[in-house]
Amino acid sequence: MSATLPPGFRIQRETNTEEFFINMGPQHPSTHGALRLALRMDGETIVELVPHFGYIHRGMEKQAESMSYLQYIAMSDRQDYLTAIQNNLGVVIALEKGMNVGVPEKGEYIRVMLQELGRIASHLVFYGCFGGDLGGQTCLLFGFKEREMIHDILEEVTGSRLTTNFFRPGGSRYDVPDTFLPRVKAFLDHLEGAMRDYERFLSKNIIVLERSVGIGILSKEDAIAYGCSGPVLRASGVEFDVRRANPYSIYDQLDFDIPVFHNGDCYDRYKIRIAEIHESMKILRQCIDKFPKEGAWRSKEKPVRLPVGRYYSEIETAKGLYATYVVAATTGEKPYRIHTRGPSFPHIAALNKMVQGHKISDLVTIMATLDPVIPEIDR
Amino acid sequence: MYVPSVTHPIGDFVREWVPKLSAYLPEQLQSQTLDSIVAFLVNAVICIIAVCAVNIGSAPILIYMERKVCAHVQCRLGPMRLGWHGTLQTIADVIKMLFKEVYAPSGADKLMFYLAPLIVLIAPFMVAALIPFDKNLVVSDVSMGIPLIIAVNGFGVLGILLGGWSSNNKYSLLGALRSGAQMISYEISFAMILLFVVMISGSTNLMTITQSQAGTIADWFIFKIPVLGFIGFILFFISSTAEMNRAPFDIAEAEQELTGGYHTEYNGTPFAMFYLAEYIALVTNSALATTCFLGGFHAPCIGVAAVDNYLTMVPGVVWFFAKVFFMIWCYMMVRWTFVRPRVDQLMDFEWKFLLPVNLLLLGAGAAYIVISG
Amino acid sequence: MGIINYAPKILDPIPGGKYVVNLVDYVVNWARANSIWPLTYGTSCCAIEMMSSSMARYDIARFGSEVFRASPRQADLFILAGTITRRMAPAIQMLWEQIPGPKYAIAMGACTISGGPFIYDNYAVVRGAQNLIPVDVFVPGCPPRPEALFHGLLTLREKILKETCRHPWHVGRPKDVSTMDRYREAAKTWAALEEMKDEEMAEARAKFKEEHPDYKSSFKPIRIKKEELPEVPRTPTHKGGLTQSELFAKLHAKFPKVSVHTHSDSPIEEVVAQIPADHPLEVIVDFEDYLPMVEFLKNDPEFKMDFLIDETAIDYDDHFDLVTMLRSMEIGHKLFLCVQLKKDFAIAEEARPTSLLASVPTISNLYPGAEVKEREIYDMFGINFEGHPDQRRIFLDKDFVGYPLRKDFTHPQMIRRPV
Repeated sequence: MSATLPPGFRIQRETNTEEFFINMGPQHPSTHGALRLALRMDGETIVELVPHFGYIHRGMEKQAESMSYLQYIAMSDRQDYLTAIQNNLGVVIALEKGMNVGVPEKGEYIRVMLQELGRIASHLVFYGCFGGDLGGQTCLLFGFKEREMIHDILEEVTGSRLTTNFFRPGGSRYDVPDTFLPRVKAFLDHLEGAMRDYERFLSKNIIVLERSVGIGILSKEDAIAYGCSGPVLRASGVEFDVRRANPYSIYDQLDFDIPVFHNGDCYDRYKIRIAEIHESMKILRQCIDKFPKEGAWRSKEKPVRLPVGRYYSEIETAKGLYATYVVAATTGEKPYRIHTRGPSFPHIAALNKMVQGHKISDLVTIMATLDPVIPEIDR
Repeated sequence: MYVPSVTHPIGDFVREWVPKLSAYLPEQLQSQTLDSIVAFLVNAVICIIAVCAVNIGSAPILIYMERKVCAHVQCRLGPMRLGWHGTLQTIADVIKMLFKEVYAPSGADKLMFYLAPLIVLIAPFMVAALIPFDKNLVVSDVSMGIPLIIAVNGFGVLGILLGGWSSNNKYSLLGALRSGAQMISYEISFAMILLFVVMISGSTNLMTITQSQAGTIADWFIFKIPVLGFIGFILFFISSTAEMNRAPFDIAEAEQELTGGYHTEYNGTPFAMFYLAEYIALVTNSALATTCFLGGFHAPCIGVAAVDNYLTMVPGVVWFFAKVFFMIWCYMMVRWTFVRPRVDQLMDFEWKFLLPVNLLLLGAGAAYIVISG
Repeated sequence: MGIINYAPKILDPIPGGKYVVNLVDYVVNWARANSIWPLTYGTSCCAIEMMSSSMARYDIARFGSEVFRASPRQADLFILAGTITRRMAPAIQMLWEQIPGPKYAIAMGACTISGGPFIYDNYAVVRGAQNLIPVDVFVPGCPPRPEALFHGLLTLREKILKETCRHPWHVGRPKDVSTMDRYREAAKTWAALEEMKDEEMAEARAKFKEEHPDYKSSFKPIRIKKEELPEVPRTPTHKGGLTQSELFAKLHAKFPKVSVHTHSDSPIEEVVAQIPADHPLEVIVDFEDYLPMVEFLKNDPEFKMDFLIDETAIDYDDHFDLVTMLRSMEIGHKLFLCVQLKKDFAIAEEARPTSLLASVPTISNLYPGAEVKEREIYDMFGINFEGHPDQRRIFLDKDFVGYPLRKDFTHPQMIRRPV
């Protein structure tokens, strides 16, 4: 057996049963995009999994070398399209470090509020996909139902539903309209009730518990070693959130908790995202209260020219640690190289560790709780 | 010459009119044997047409209903554009599927590949022939009705296994194996529940079972034996859902895992047949539940003569289909509410929970009958 | 499918037969046009809008298209949602061939129409789905709104309603990927049209001037008072762990050869002290020191760098910079290591673009997460990692020639961005 293993498979074992290989993807309903998973199966049980990337590798980093810094903000939309507005901020903070511009208070509040709206939107998609991948199609629609309201707000503020391209060094493209705060408030009031319903729908469902408790356990050591971040890391018991560890924007002035769970299984990864939605709502309510009525919404506009150097920024998106590394070899409008560290890449790298010995149905559950976005991996 | 003891009005009509018509034939052709053969054939043709009409006719209605129920559960509208509130939608689907290209994958066993959907269709059709729709509206009133249903229901597994195996696709094979294991397991508790029904009614004939539920609602088997009847009904509901491969027990199709399971490789008309079989099975299982637990074609009398008179004025067949559609609605609501268990959990549930509970139920039922006389 | 195509041949010569054919046409087209089952396929942003369109707010079910089939054999419509890369192209053609006829394709979004944002300087993206499979309807947008997708669907519906079995539907052949580039031809035609339009406009303007010699525009630009925006200083904050100076001092004691990027002549300690608090410290490490230093940083109780943020490389003329970004989960400080890998110029010049130019020991035994990152660097830069357990290309095909993130990389399909 071992002599004829396809590339990538490594585990050697003496088996009495015949193993076979299954190819999942690149077009498969539960690989969340164009990801291909090669599975080595023993009956219904997975022996080994090898992910194959690159089906949506778009060469963004090569393209960035001939783009201006501002143009790259639009590229970041297309990496993790579920949290496009958060990626914008990641790039913009790196540019601000280079240009050494700050953001006025109102601008920071706009940023934080849109960040948290984006986080809720992404987690709602997670809620839907989690339920949907377990076989409950109705959950999928429920998750997307509330998300549309966030899209309405985003569309009003940024002009686009999905690919927002909104933040700029020193602030954002536009000021928020007058309807922004009342709308967010109305949305939060609605979401409060909706989340109660949704949690009742899945959180205590016996089938969901059976299928997710104790499934796909990622230990604390493994989670750190593989470089997992965000909810996946926090579900394994590591209290690491960039918003707390290296506060950017005005997160150090806001009162919120970092939910941490300790089992590292699928159920914890589900619960932690639900808890994060509640925390985001808390942050949004604080922001509405504190939102400055007057003052500038952005600092003075400057041409985006970065001096020679290397600039690094990291933010906490809904998926985890999103880092941007900008290399400016000459002072000018074009980067020498921009590199993006997406949170989903290590999660998929650790997937093999999690699925070994589980059934093919569990793979779907685990994939759903990792909540990967493939274009962000492939870039 | 076997002439089935058909009691439906059309059968009587045929038997009455065939000899009258044969009187016009030349005398050397007239004989009683010939008459009975002709009557039997005519009768059979009418029966087949009737069963097909009920089954195939109900499938588009059910698909439409499913899409609407699903849509309204999910806060949507469902099909709206084609006909009034999208009523013609499934008809368009069926016509489109009939005119779609049909091909088998290159490595497939062609004969088995095209035979499988037909085999799947047989089981629900045969079950439909045994169901009494009204006092004298039953195609074949065999005395061994329940054993026949148990025997025939297992036929569907064969088709699914064949379909999955002959497709030469690993997903199909996995789906077929899952489905085989699941359906054979749940067959047992399915049979056990029917045995429970036989025990209460004291007969394996479906007509007799229905007739023994005559009277008020309290006489229906779901309420006749306190608590036990209701438990039996719930168990029947669960095991028949699994028997039909319907969500939440649709692990054989499991779109998110196996992209369609045993029918991954099917297209066009053969796929439509799988689709059809699924919905006809829904009708027959609901009809079986109605017959065994919900009093069949009997009106839901409540024991008050003033109301009951009006209720019994409605033909039994209307009550029957009303109950059937209520059951179908229940199946659909369950489908769009729950998530799917894993394959080994499903087996555990059957062998470690459902079967012991069934045995206990049988014992308790027997004890109740002995005690109450 | 086959039978009705013979209907016109037999029925049309018979008097009145053509009405029967028309009727068959009408019924079949009506069914096909109103029951379009799409394939579950999506690669990127457009897939999310496609999903949104089937959700409660927009509800594609109204048109009877909510039956998303996961198996291509039961689908009618191929919605190409999301960018198509060269690696994905064969899979798309295979899917298209597996859909039984009559089948239709909608190219959703700018990427599938022309390459969209990924037209220029890109080696990976196919410029337009029409280079791969015959597309029926194009839906522009980046990504298109669900309403736009519905418009595409209804346009497709109209197209299907015009079909007839007199000219039966036939399977469009998948096309060759490498040779076709419709974008360039279209751009040329477009440029010619623009030129023509410019000339026409110039003529019209000249004619207008002749006819109205005294014409004066009454247009007055309105001046909007520009908002006075303040200059806001940035306030960097430091949180957790050792400061940059402490980090550097400790590291310098152990490995005396470390230094930092600097453009001034001042001593290194001063340069380190001037780094803003929220910039991570990036030290230049000697090649020999690299592996011992990573091991030291991971195991030393004062550093405890147990979390690998990322590993990446930068290509310069004569060397690569390998940047390893480390972080301590427990203490909270970050440290970036930059190793300069000299390019191996012993390799013949024409062989350089396709050969591995540098070599460095792997750290994937220390950080399992580094395995995929190092595969990415190998794939993009052509740097060899000694002792890597599974060094294969990760994003590109295994027969891809060259290493794209090198500055001298060229690819026949790359179009330069016009300046």
